Amino acid sequence: MHQPLRKYIPATITQSYFQMRARNRLIESTDTDAINVSPLIDVVFILLIFFIVSATFVTLPGIEVNRPQAVTGKALEKNAVIFALSGDNEIKYAGSTVQLEEVPGLVEQASKDKGKPVVIQVDQWADASILAKIVALARKKSSDVSIATRKPRA
Amino acid sequence: MRRRLSPEPERTEINVSPLIDLVFILLIFFIVATSFVNEVGITPKHKDTASSSSNLEEPISFDLPSSGQLLQDGMVIGLEQVAPLVRSNSSDKPRSVLVRVSPGARAGLATQVMDQAMLAGAQAVKLSPLTQ
Repeated sequence: MHQPLRKYIPATITQSYFQMRARNRLIESTDTDAINVSPLIDVVFILLIFFIVSATFVTLPGIEVNRPQAVTGKALEKNAVIFALSGDNEIKYAGSTVQLEEVPGLVEQASKDKGKPVVIQVDQWADASILAKIVALARKKSSDVSIATRKPRA
Repeated sequence: MRRRLSPEPERTEINVSPLIDLVFILLIFFIVATSFVNEVGITPKHKDTASSSSNLEEPISFDLPSSGQLLQDGMVIGLEQVAPLVRSNSSDKPRSVLVRVSPGARAGLATQVMDQAMLAGAQAVKLSPLTQ
């Protein structure tokens, strides 16, 4: 049992001090030649979580309308229920045409009792009475109903 | 024995590069996705509950018939006259504006009338459809 130990000890003792230092330095250098990426991953994860939490996914109506010009236009809430009223008087929501009667139900469904604001993208040449009806119906379910306008020229 | 004494220390490490790749792709996706919709618009204020006292005074009403004109009190006016009319009527107190639209009127014009009324400081702007 003592035999292997006795064999091993002389070997280490006979190693000179300089040899040991050289070996230690060699091991150290192999330890440090890889960059430590753990702090990078930490930061990236924190950024990722921040962007996931702050991300708002809105359902777009799926058509592009010719918005009317307005002077008092302000930036609207991003997280909104968006309807579009096309130039040929079709109400669009989430890529499909909907009927006027479906609007309150869709607002309620989309805002999930969180009271999301409603944005109506209206075409300049659409029928104003349909717009008025959509606004009136959307108001029943949401306190904040806006009409999207063109961006003011800076 | 020879392997243990060799200068290359034997280490078992998890390779994190694919993880970082994936996390970066997710990060870039969420950065891009955060600013999809930047909508500008008008929010016509309506004060149904608070205007019980101011309900006594009649709102200034603008009519948009299907002919595409803009009428105020039966007179054809231009869009640029909306703001002065609202302002002159609201010398003491900001008043509410009612925009009555007939089927066939342009939504662009209705929006611009509301915009002008809000520019003039109308306290409430209401859009109401006229049924014929």
